[in-house]
Amino acid sequence: MTTSDHTRWSDDLAAYLLGSLDPREAAEFERHLEGCEHCREEMRWLEPAVHTLPETVERQEPPPQLREALMAEVYADARPEKKPAATGSWFEPRRWLLKPAVGFAALALLVAGVVGYEVGNDGSDGSGGASTIVRQIDGMTVKMIQEGDAGTLELVGVPRLRPDKVLEAWVERDGKVEAVPALFVPDRHGRAETTIADMRGVETVMVTEEPRGGSETPTGEPIMAMAVPQ
Amino acid sequence: MAVRREKAERLADEELMPLVGRHDPEAFEVLYDRHGGVAYSLAYRVVGDRAAAEEVTQEAFISVWRSGARFDATRGSVRSWLLSVVRNRAIDFLRSRAGKAPKLAFDDEAVLEQRPARERTEEEALRRETATELRGALGKLPGEQSKVIELAYFGGFSHSEIAQILGLPMGTVKGRMRLGLEKIRGELAEGLA
Repeated sequence: MTTSDHTRWSDDLAAYLLGSLDPREAAEFERHLEGCEHCREEMRWLEPAVHTLPETVERQEPPPQLREALMAEVYADARPEKKPAATGSWFEPRRWLLKPAVGFAALALLVAGVVGYEVGNDGSDGSGGASTIVRQIDGMTVKMIQEGDAGTLELVGVPRLRPDKVLEAWVERDGKVEAVPALFVPDRHGRAETTIADMRGVETVMVTEEPRGGSETPTGEPIMAMAVPQ
Repeated sequence: MAVRREKAERLADEELMPLVGRHDPEAFEVLYDRHGGVAYSLAYRVVGDRAAAEEVTQEAFISVWRSGARFDATRGSVRSWLLSVVRNRAIDFLRSRAGKAPKLAFDDEAVLEQRPARERTEEEALRRETATELRGALGKLPGEQSKVIELAYFGGFSHSEIAQILGLPMGTVKGRMRLGLEKIRGELAEGLA
């Protein structure tokens, strides 16, 4: 290969490192790079120059909510696989409902959910098709969409969570409480969504605030509870 | 949890990455605390909007969290890798923003200035000092070279787009990129590397 050939590849190398080659040219350059030790050596030499470029930008202070939202999502992701929670009803004293600080609020919310203002309901044809229930609960708009056996719970107007908290959904079925596997957090607009894979026989859906990583049984303040029409 | 966090703080970035790959939130949190500031600053420099910079930074870090194992230590530091992820996300954001071309503030003097900011750690102070020197290195480049580098790296323009913008042959644009990067690399070798 002649020197002029390598001038061409050297020029391409700089553009490649700056992300400025189009995809076809970049692929061509990468093929050349595989077989050219000279260019690989030059890349190792030149690459630190590109790595300095982000260090030259004027520093901006990231907003604290960025860290909060990011870590809430990370802790929600990091939650270990859980088995279904132990059996028992939400209304049993040994659970959290009779703890004064939590229980009364939960009960109030549950009642609000059941009799709460129904904003809309597109109904169900009773054949397993889609149905949507929309309710206003404690300042939030709660939408429960059921399609086949699965359900999607959408919340709008969720208050901001502390960074060490996540949202966890629970379903009550045949008098037993089960955790919904995926933890979730509201976005910065206060919207949160989770999927309930199996809605068969679910009588009630509830969401609580839980510590990062989630809980085996509800321990946090419920932010909503809603009876599911059978 | 506090003990784990303290332990994570004592680890180098390269030691944190395997933990991040195993989804250790404390390790990830330390990584964010070390590099979140410059990552957000870079995103802001590229997209020019605080809300968008926040979105880009969060998406970039989440992608790192979910693909931590993809870090290749032979290609540079964790910080460089993280910042390349942020830069790519920011450029993607610019390109996907309907009806808006990447911003053209490549010759904005503010880019080469530094405003006083809180220096929370000695390491951060050292980084700021280094950043000032780096800005100096970039500032020493002939304008024609720094312009093409900034358009490419911060603007996300291809060399053919830059050629069109500046009315230059494509070969000239690529040549200026190479000369500029070589000069910055020379400065690093002399005093900063």
